[in-house]
Amino acid sequence: MTYQSRYAWSVLFRLFHWAFALSIVTLVVTGLYVNSPWTNTVLEGSRSFPMATMRYLHFLAGFIFASAVAVRLYLWLFGNRQEKFWDSAPITPRNIRNLFSTMAYYTYLTDRHETRLGHNALAGTVYLATIVLTLIQLVSGFYMLYPESVFWQKWGVALFETQQQARFIHHLLMWYFIIFAFFHLYIVIWNDIKSPEGLISSIFCGRKFHRSSS
Amino acid sequence: MTRHLDKSHFEPKLSRRGFIKGCTIAAAALGLSDEMVPRLVEAAASAQKPPVLWLHFQECTGCTEALLRASHPDVGRLILDMISLDYHETVMAPSGNQAEKSFKDTLEKYSGKFICVVEGAVPTKDGGIYCKIGGRTALEIIREAAPKAAAVIAIGTCASYGGVQAASPNPTGAKGAGDVLGMPVVNIPGCPPNPIAFLGTLLHFLTFKRLPELDQIGRPLFAYGRKNHDQCERRAHFDEGRFVEQFGDSNHMKGYCLYKVGCKGPETFANCPAVRFNDVDVWPVSAGHGCVGCTEPNFWDTHSPFYERLPGVKIPGTGGIVHDVDSAGKKILGIAAAAAGIHAAVGIGKRIVKGRGKSDEDV
Ligand code: HEM
Ligand code: HEM
Ligand code: SF4
Repeated sequence: MTYQSRYAWSVLFRLFHWAFALSIVTLVVTGLYVNSPWTNTVLEGSRSFPMATMRYLHFLAGFIFASAVAVRLYLWLFGNRQEKFWDSAPITPRNIRNLFSTMAYYTYLTDRHETRLGHNALAGTVYLATIVLTLIQLVSGFYMLYPESVFWQKWGVALFETQQQARFIHHLLMWYFIIFAFFHLYIVIWNDIKSPEGLISSIFCGRKFHRSSS
Repeated sequence: MTRHLDKSHFEPKLSRRGFIKGCTIAAAALGLSDEMVPRLVEAAASAQKPPVLWLHFQECTGCTEALLRASHPDVGRLILDMISLDYHETVMAPSGNQAEKSFKDTLEKYSGKFICVVEGAVPTKDGGIYCKIGGRTALEIIREAAPKAAAVIAIGTCASYGGVQAASPNPTGAKGAGDVLGMPVVNIPGCPPNPIAFLGTLLHFLTFKRLPELDQIGRPLFAYGRKNHDQCERRAHFDEGRFVEQFGDSNHMKGYCLYKVGCKGPETFANCPAVRFNDVDVWPVSAGHGCVGCTEPNFWDTHSPFYERLPGVKIPGTGGIVHDVDSAGKKILGIAAAAAGIHAAVGIGKRIVKGRGKSDEDV
């Protein structure tokens, strides 16, 4: 059995990942503050602007988040082989087979699994769902941010009807992202322990140890 | 003790001064320059008063009340002066057959010319039997009258979006006029709506012969173009993080922002902080109560609990146990953590039982 160090993730992809991950952490913290501000300025005439600042950070992170998603959509079409949509979305026979075998592997039913340079199909499916929910999060966010814009009103009213519903769904989706991040971290660590691919470091340096069939 | 009574409240005729004042208020609300005031005055004073059919369905008459008496008496009278109110169940003199006759006459004589104002929701369930006037259902009446009108104006949240009648479980299948008719309708929502929004719409129509610009859900932009939150006098307290924690606490007495006690100003399009109600210039927030968002569709269902930011989530399969969003989220996260813990334990257990076993290298 030999392992080769192979290039899996482009620089742009890794930039996307970290912009996405760090912006979500910021968005969750500032979003929770916006929902229920845990400070209360006692001194009038001071200038601490906690709510204005938190909202500013939320919107700043929101734009980074939106740019990261745009990069991911671009990479689905024009990225390298691992990054392309077809490589991990559960729509090809190869990926559907892999989806089930990965489930068996993750539930300890078997130790056999296909090694792939890119994502396995279970991960691919979850990432696909995540990006779709991301788009809904973006529409609700921008609808709340630009309530007077006709463009966002059209989308917002079609998807959520009112600002309140948009806010409610925005908040529920925050919990999706929190739970996704939790499982994501767990399963990345689990994989890193189970197979010596150097999965975690791959998202920093772009290289993975790939088992060669020779 | 002598009390000064403002005689204008009892004067049946509208003075010229009051007339121009009303038109000026409307011009300001519409965002028109004062040079346009004479044109509004001209249109409002025109001898050809447009006939108006005012239909009452599932409602509390609060919209009419707000319009006719509560606020600037001039505004209410200006509206009555400007239009020919041929049919309005609350204020018209005829009743019974005579009332129905004036309804029919208006439909025939002024087909295509009259303005149809709808107040109240229209029940649609079981053939609409839950609201009948003169033996006919609201559904029949509105379907007969509205298509013949030059314009249909829904006044109040009930006529616009169903209002409290349409709140879950909506036993009568109540709907707003626009939904029932499937045609464009000007919505003037609010519970009650501000009379100025109605006056402005009417004057705009009379002056320019067309309806004002509307938003995505049929509300005139001049009145419903911005969020209350973005025009609120307590907004500085919001940005500065000074909040009422509880009704009656010292922050409440200081007039801080009502966000944490559930104010829905950030979700509500209306001009309450700018135009205000009654002659004493108030709106809920200026009186120390959060906005409940009465100009928004489904506000009874989605804006409640009124004293919390967000509605709760129903946990499926528990017969409707409601959790607030964050406690539900935390519980799910807890379940997720437990699941991950069990998963990891199984992995470790298996490795202990089987030894290092077939790891990746041997497959
Ligand atoms: C220190 C923390 C993190 C590490 C070490 C890490 C590591 C990784 C690795 C190794 C992959 C590739 C896995 C595969 O091939 O299936 C990946 C993908 C991904 N990660 Fe993370 N991650 C971290 C935090 C996060 C956070 C906080 C989020 C967002 C909530 C996130 C979102 C994603 C997404 C969406 C992908 C899929 C990228 C794609 O669309 O292809 N990650 N991460
Ligand atoms: C994963 C991504 C995001 C998370 C977890 C998140 C979270 C939150 C949360 C929890 C709230 C408070 C809502 C409440 O309960 O009252 C909020 C509000 C808001 N978010 Fe986000 N958000 C995200 C992305 C975005 C994006 C991309 C934008 C667009 C720039 C955005 C714009 C807003 C706006 C405008 C508000 C309302 C703020 C206010 O009215 O004061 N969010 N967000
Ligand atoms: S009182 Fe309500 S509308 Fe006013 S600033 Fe606070 S949250 Fe916004």
